This record gives sequence, C-alpha cells and structure tokens, in this order.
Amino acid sequence: MKTIEVPALARVEGEGGLYIGVKDDQVVEIRLDIYEPPRFFEGFLVGRFLQEVPDITARICGICPVAYQMSSVIALEKSLDVEVSAQVYALRRLMYCGEHIESHALHIYLLQAPDLLGYPSALDLAAIAPELVKNALRMKKIGNDVLKAIGGRSVHPVNACVGGFYRWPDAASLNALIPELDWGLEAAKQTVQWSLTLPYPDLEIDYEFVAIHHPEEYGVMRGDVLSSKGYKTSVADYEMRYFEEHVQHSNALHGHTAFGGTYLVGPLARLNLNHPQLLPAAQKSLKDAKLNLPLKNPYKSLIARAVELVNFYEEAIQLIKAYHPDQPAHANLKLKAGEGCGMSEAPRGLLYHRYKIDEQGMVKFARIVPPTAQNLPRIEADLFVLAPTLVKMEQEQATLTAEHLVRSYDPCISCATHFLKLKVEDVGQA
Amino acid sequence: MNILVLGIGQSLRGDDAAGLEAVRMWQALHPESAAQVNVETSELPGLVLLDLLEGMDAAIVVDAVRSSANAGIVIRVGPDELASFTSGTGSVHGWGVAETLHLGQLLYPWVAKCRVTLIGINGKNFAIGAGLSPEVQTAMVDVVDMMEREINKYLL
Repeated sequence: MKTIEVPALARVEGEGGLYIGVKDDQVVEIRLDIYEPPRFFEGFLVGRFLQEVPDITARICGICPVAYQMSSVIALEKSLDVEVSAQVYALRRLMYCGEHIESHALHIYLLQAPDLLGYPSALDLAAIAPELVKNALRMKKIGNDVLKAIGGRSVHPVNACVGGFYRWPDAASLNALIPELDWGLEAAKQTVQWSLTLPYPDLEIDYEFVAIHHPEEYGVMRGDVLSSKGYKTSVADYEMRYFEEHVQHSNALHGHTAFGGTYLVGPLARLNLNHPQLLPAAQKSLKDAKLNLPLKNPYKSLIARAVELVNFYEEAIQLIKAYHPDQPAHANLKLKAGEGCGMSEAPRGLLYHRYKIDEQGMVKFARIVPPTAQNLPRIEADLFVLAPTLVKMEQEQATLTAEHLVRSYDPCISCATHFLKLKVEDVGQA
Repeated sequence: MNILVLGIGQSLRGDDAAGLEAVRMWQALHPESAAQVNVETSELPGLVLLDLLEGMDAAIVVDAVRSSANAGIVIRVGPDELASFTSGTGSVHGWGVAETLHLGQLLYPWVAKCRVTLIGINGKNFAIGAGLSPEVQTAMVDVVDMMEREINKYLL
C-alpha cells in the first residue's frame, strides 16, 4: 500500500484532511475531509432577537465578518420589508471595500505568493523580500483601518445593524484615511503588474462561474445570481438552483447546481462575470494586463484579486469623498413575522443567508451557505485533474502542489478548522 | 512608558475566551493599573497584533493555549522565551502570537524593541458555545494576579 501523509497544509483557514486513493496507478478517490462544522451557528441563532444576528454571524469568520454581517442584515431586512437608504447602502459598500482590501492583500502576498515564488511561508518571504511584505501589510492595514473607522474595531466590527448602522461614523475619521487609500490605490495597480510576472502552473478548468451581478455596479450586495452558463437567478430563487448536500467525509456541506454540477464562486467568478462593472482605474489595470477573459486557471485568481484590489481602493476613495450623512443612520423597524434571504460577496465568494422570524423578531430558522462549502466539490474536482501528476511525485512535492492548488482558492473552512493533512493511499486490490 | 494589555480569544469558542475574560476581570479588580495602560481585546487579531504594538514599549498578551497540561494551568512566556514558542500553525489567517511577532520582528523596529510577555491559560473545551470550563474559570484569579504582577514590573 502506498501512503503519502503530510502533517499540515498550511496557510488555509480550516482543519481537515486531503485523501487521495490510488489503484493500479490510477486515482480512484479524492476527498477533502472537513472535520468540524461551522453550521452550529445556525442553531445558535434560533431563539435570538434579530438584532443579535449580525454580531453573532460575524464571529463565523475573522477574515470576512462584514460579509456575514451584511448577508444577515440584508436577509432580515427583507423579512421585515425594510428598505435602507442610499447613504446606508453606500456605507455598507465602504465596509466591503475595507474587508476585501484586507483579505485580498493578505491572500495575495502572504498566502499565495510564497507558493508561486517558492518560499515555504510568508516568514521566509519576509526575510528575503521585507519591503514587499511590508507593503502588503500596509495595504492590508488600510482595509483594517476602514473597518475600524466604521465599525469601531478592525476585526469583528460592531456598528452594523438590521436597518442600517447604530451610528454614522465620524466623517473626519474617514477622510483622514484618504492619503493612505491613495497610496494603496497606486500600490494595488503595481500589484496587478507584479501579479502578471508570477510563474503560474498551467491548469485550465472549464468552470461554471457564479457570482452576484448588478448591471450598474461591481456585484457585491445586490443584484441577481449570474452563472457563466447563462442562467440568471434572483436571490429569492437561489435555493431553487443551488443546493447543498451532506457528504460522508465532510462536516461542511457540499454545494452543487440543480443539475448536479460543480460551480465556482469567488474572485475569478466575479472578475469574469462582472469586469464591465469595474471602476475606471481597475478597468485600466485590467486592460493593461492584456488578459484573455474568462480566466480559467485557478492559480490566477491571484490576478483577479489584484484587479479587485484596485477596484475596492478606488471605490473606497469615492465613497469617502461622497460621505455626507444627513439622514437617520438606521431605519425604524416594525416587527412582524416574515422570511427573507440575502446574499453578498465575501472575498472568497458568494455568501447566502435565509431567516424566518416571528412577530417578536425572534429567529425561528436560519440557513447560511458559505462560499467555501460551494467551492469544496470544485476543489476536489480540480484535484482530480491534478491527481495523475500528484501520484507520480515524491511526497513533499505532491503535498506542496496540492496545497498550492487548495490555497489558491483561499478556502475559509470557516473558522472551524486549522489544518489539512494530505494522505495519498494505494487502495490496491479489494 | 507605553504598555499594551491585550486579551485574545473567541467569545463563542468555550475556553478560547479565557484571554478576554481575564482582561475584563483584571480591569474590574485593578482599575488604577488599567487607567495607566492601553487595554485591548480582540477575537482574532492575527496580523493586526503588529498594528496594536506600534508605539508600545511593552505588551502583556493573555490568551488561551492548548497543550497536554491540565486545564486551568497558567503559563508565562517571557520576552526572551517567545522566540522559541510557536503554536505550530503556518496559517496566516489564524497566525498565532509567536508567529506574528516573528514576522513583526523581521520587518518593524517597533516590534523588535517591544517587550512582549504571553500569559497562557490552558483550556480543555474549545467547542462552539459560550462559557469557560470550571477549571479555567477557577484559574482566572491566578491569571489576574499574574497580569497585575507583570504590569507592575513596568509601572513601578
């Protein structure tokens, strides 16, 4: 029996194992074993007052708390038939800018770049290229500072509520961020150029890309769910087209389409489906990059993140300059029984929430579909494509190669987990 | 002298909240000390720790730890010992204190000069849910005493 076992797949968020079964030199099974479920949060929410929901769901992830907050407030506002003001919507988008900036800067430079450049970790990269990593941390900090200015703290900000915000953030605090955001915008443009110089492994996958799409803005919080297969689905009908199922080896559910196929959410999907809605500087960066869209190489999601960085810095500057709140920070809520769903684009992909509440505003049912659950079957499918190469490699190289592919997805096995183990086993004769 | 007191932990992961609880208890019991330092709590600071250390001469970081020791055992890792202390994770999403400090020391003079002491509380239950295990709850008094002693080394 041939077994390759590696102690840890580093630099992913989550704990699990990667199993590859080999028979007669053919890969017969691949499993991303996910041990620990984030889904208990859905149970947590039942019986809670609706205003507790955004601050509880934010705890699902330290990297994308804003997405969890926003998907939940949008869904709960839908259940109450509440419309938020344009000013509230703009500030929510600014929060998103902060979250995407800090998450993308982290992933590009400290999670994936070490793989592409051949360093074991960000620490090793920092030792060789300290200015590169310092710039990355400065870019990331700007995103954190945006979140702190709006939400009081950079990790798990607390200002968002159903109906809007508890209070408007201080305009002076936001305006003070503009010089750093200007710097960040230029750094992001350079990041796109730099990203084009990296040595990406050859791998082209015919994905079904799925992302929020809005004709007038880069899809983040409103619009329909667009598929590269041509389907457009309203948020209300999301669960009619996209399903989750339990698989034996994973405590995270696996997403698939109504036709049983895998699909991809995240930066590649967003860029491929929504690039016409990018802001001008991001459009220029994309044009200068001379990319052939759609990008189908999962490793090149780094480039998509870099282009998005330009877009979110650019948008953050615009939103802060236009920030002059003169309306109530939140809508008055009239409690009633209802049901609503909402979605937003977390840095790593589409995040769907649905809630039922009673007439006192207490949660009776909660459903959360995180992006990584939707991508897990796709990651396994990609590994199948890679597997014939993996099984011919020595253990160390096979592990690094598999890790690199998984990391390119920036999976957040949702704060529930910490490591992945790679096990390649020759299952031989029964 | 600028001193940071930082409690780290996830409030909905059982004993992982020990660092947060310890800082809150210390603030309540030693308000005169708390008034002289910078106090922060954070669920998952990750690399934000480096930002929190900017301008600080010393930091007392209180966090839950997981080891083979019994729950409630309190450990102190001094500034000179942190270099050899790792949480064994290579994840940047969830980088531990030691790894983050290593990165900071490589890149930033202010991290290299800051004297960081880690007070760790050995936990046993890190499952999703609020509340500390009885052993960790009992250890809180010792943790608070140790925090106050460490802080007074710099205040006195």
